[in-house]
This record gives sequence, C-alpha cells and structure tokens, in this order.
Amino acid sequence: MENNLDFKNAKERIEHIEDVLSSVAAGDLDKRLQTDIEDDLTGIEEAINILIEDLTYELKQSKKMKEELEDKLNKIQEQQKTIIQQQEDLLELSSPVTKVWDNVLILPVIGTLDSQRTQIMMENLLQKIVETGCTIAILDITGVPTVDTQVANHLLKTVTAARLLGADCIISGISPAIAQTIVHLGIDLSSIKTKATLQDAMLFAMKKNNQLFEGKIHLEHKEQEEDDK
Amino acid sequence: MQEIISDNNWNKLGIYPIVDEHDIVKVRSIVRQHAKDFRMGIVEQTRITTAISELLRNMYNYANGGDVVIESGQVEEHNALIITCIDKGPGIEDVELAMSDGYTSGMGMGYGLPGAKRLVDKFEIYSKPQKGTTVRIMKWK
Repeated sequence: MENNLDFKNAKERIEHIEDVLSSVAAGDLDKRLQTDIEDDLTGIEEAINILIEDLTYELKQSKKMKEELEDKLNKIQEQQKTIIQQQEDLLELSSPVTKVWDNVLILPVIGTLDSQRTQIMMENLLQKIVETGCTIAILDITGVPTVDTQVANHLLKTVTAARLLGADCIISGISPAIAQTIVHLGIDLSSIKTKATLQDAMLFAMKKNNQLFEGKIHLEHKEQEEDDK
Repeated sequence: MQEIISDNNWNKLGIYPIVDEHDIVKVRSIVRQHAKDFRMGIVEQTRITTAISELLRNMYNYANGGDVVIESGQVEEHNALIITCIDKGPGIEDVELAMSDGYTSGMGMGYGLPGAKRLVDKFEIYSKPQKGTTVRIMKWK
C-alpha cells in the first residue's frame, strides 16, 4: 500500500522532478529520479523514468539510422559519380571515327541521336578530317532506329560542316522503312550522297579514290614528261 | 479547330510525362512496342514512331514538356492506336501556318507537324495561346 504523501519532502521531490525534466529538455538523458519512497508521487516519478529510458532508446535508434542513411547516401553519391563518368566515357566511345582506307573515314552511328551526342559526333568527325586530311567520310546510320526531322537536320548540318573542311560525306544504311518515312516527312536529302548499305558506300568511296589518285598520278606523270622535255 | 474529346470506351494503355530528352527516347520505344503488339508492319511502325518523335520534340523544345496518353480503341470503324500529346506551353498562334510545310518558329526544318500528319491516318490539333496545345494522332490497325 502506498504511504501518505509527506508534504515536507514533496516540495523537494517536485523540485527534483523539475530539475531532471529540465536537464532532459536540455539533452542530458543520464539523470534519473529516485523512487525508493512509495507514495502518490512515486507513480509519476517512475513514469518519468520510463519516459527517459524510452527517449534514450529512441534517440540511439535514430542516431544509428541516421548514420546508416548517411552511409547509404555516400555510397549512392559515389555511384552517381561513376555513372556520370561512364556516361561521359560512353558519349566519347559512342561516336568513333576511324580511317578505314586511304582518304576514307567511317563514322558508324548507333542508337539515338540527341543534340548532345550529335554535337560530340560532329566535333569528332571534323577533328578527324583535319587530322587525317581525308576527303571522304562515310556516316553509317544502320543502327539509328528513328530518323525524324531533328536527326535529319543534325545530319545535314554535319555534312555541311564537313564540306566546309573539304570533305565529302556519304550517308549509308538508310533502311527502306526509314526511306519512306523521310519522304513522307517531306525532308529533302537530295543534296547529300546516300547509299543503301555500308558496302555500297565503301565501293563508291574507293571508286572516287581511284579517280582522284589516278588523276593525280596522271598529272604528276605529265609534269615529269614536261620536265624531261 | 475543334476541341479534342476522348472516348470513354477507349482502352488506356499508359500515360507518360515528358520531362527531359531521355523521356522522348523512352516513350518512342514504348510506342514502337505498342505498334509491334498491334501487328503493324515495319514501315507502319517506323511511321508512327517518327510521327510521335516529332510531336514529343515539339513538346520538349517549345512547351517545356507535357504528358503523353497512349490508348487503343474503335474510331470510325477502325481499330486504332491513339496517342495524345498534351502540353501547357505557350500554344500556337496560327495553327494553319504551323501546319504548312517549311514554316518554323524555332531552329527546326519546318516539317515536324505537317510531316507527322502525313505519317498517320488521323491527325487532330487543338491549341489555345498561353494555355497549351493538344495533338492527337491515330493509326489504323
């Protein structure tokens, strides 16, 4: 049974409760109330103690969770960095320009041509034209599933830019379905040399090469003859 | 120009938001898949995919994105694939002018809208300046 409340001690004990509560409010969870005297106040004191225990536990839990979340966030941020890095690498890799023959460059385009990729593709191609001095470039679009007006526009711009550097472009790999679609769209690609397959484009490029070199050799030969005279 | 009304009997196949350029590619391949499921030939598939590509690019370039609703249903006694592009962009001042070949308000070639119209079986457009534009294309099965 509970003892009657001792009024003498009561004030002191309530002050103590106040003390503990204010230190809890300030963040100190180490203080507990003494519960050796059993009376009306004991229940309150015990309840406060339990509350402080619970609070301590919850705080620990949330600290732990916070740490875990921070860990995860760090990991995700690192992964994101890797992804961005890889995307950049992929962009570079996805538009390789290679010299396949004397005077002939090839640029196979695979996938979707968005504005960012087209920009890199064009830069790569123009750079390579200047580096190698090639005058024929084949753009193979076999791997491009959709040619809409924007893609066509990008292709036209690339071809025009290459022409300014003295290189002629051949576009190959236009599928029958895409050919029909381009006509229905109303796009005029007649200013560009196009071939159905990469093979046709290669043959055309080599023929053109032959004409060029034969012409050159012929000219040199003539010059030599003139010199001999 | 009539406001575009939907038919409740149509079967909703999906609704997709267009926020960035990747969404264009994503939705385009979804449309291609639906066209395939509809047993359209490769030419028809390419046509509807190219048409939707034009509309999505317009949406992205001029209206800051929007929503695409893909449906299938009965239209004028045809089994149709119905795609509706809804944006809340600046709208088109003169729809007739925008639908004419070679006219462009931006950097494009000016064949987007009229080209898309030629690639599909039915083409509807409704635009209100400052409110937005809705374009619906249909392709018969």
